[in-house]
Amino acid sequence: MTTVALALVKEVADAARAPRMLYLHWPFGHALGEPGNVAQQRTILYDMLSMARAASRPGLVIELPYRWRRETYPPIVDWTADSVAAVSIPPD
Amino acid sequence: MNEHNAPTRTPIDPLRERILRWISGSGRGQAFGHLLSRLIALPQLRRLTASEIPWTPLVRPISEATVAIVTTSGVHLRRDKPFQLHSDSSFRVIPRETKAADLTITHQAYDRTDALRDINLVFPLERLRELEAEGVIGRVADEHFGFGLSGSAKALLAPGRTVGRRLADAHVDLVLLVPA
Repeated sequence: MTTVALALVKEVADAARAPRMLYLHWPFGHALGEPGNVAQQRTILYDMLSMARAASRPGLVIELPYRWRRETYPPIVDWTADSVAAVSIPPD
Repeated sequence: MNEHNAPTRTPIDPLRERILRWISGSGRGQAFGHLLSRLIALPQLRRLTASEIPWTPLVRPISEATVAIVTTSGVHLRRDKPFQLHSDSSFRVIPRETKAADLTITHQAYDRTDALRDINLVFPLERLRELEAEGVIGRVADEHFGFGLSGSAKALLAPGRTVGRRLADAHVDLVLLVPA
């Protein structure tokens, strides 16, 4: 099965050696964001689905850029297009 | 969301609850929480992780895929036996049609206040059902899985494999892993 994981602690995200990992600078208990913020939650799911589809190699840990409580999240227009945030490859 | 539609929480020690609020709500608290998390998790992960990372590409488009959630946030059906707060490596099954009011959170290592207002923060089943209805994903899996707080990553290996087998037997294509 294909898996995509979220993490909230960078060093743990790196050490887990998961096939696909997205890391967020958000508090514990808030992996999908803020209560009632449906657009934010959908954005994280969009990033996870994009990584499931487009990650080019195992072990990538991609840091998502969203600042806690300081972002607005536009509606996802095309779920089949890859999320830029989730598929940009971090430098080695 | 009114109280009748909301998940419940298994009570924990009040002092611990105040500490978790501090960890969640202040910069210093978050730094402390991250330090604790690293101290507990990193030595175990370094011992347990394999040199080769498993890799299974998606076998079908996401619009045809069956998707399941595995969460370690202590979410379980209210009618199920709660996780042991101190440490528990067992899992609970959560059916696809479960409503928020059917759920309880049993966990003592994170501030659950916001997750109790919106369970999607740690268990986005409702969001997945919406994506299924919109045709973004093929199907929401019949079964999803919740784990509690486990002090031992090694103790999670066997239950983790059991969950893996159940997901494979159910022909799940994609698993979303959500932490506490």
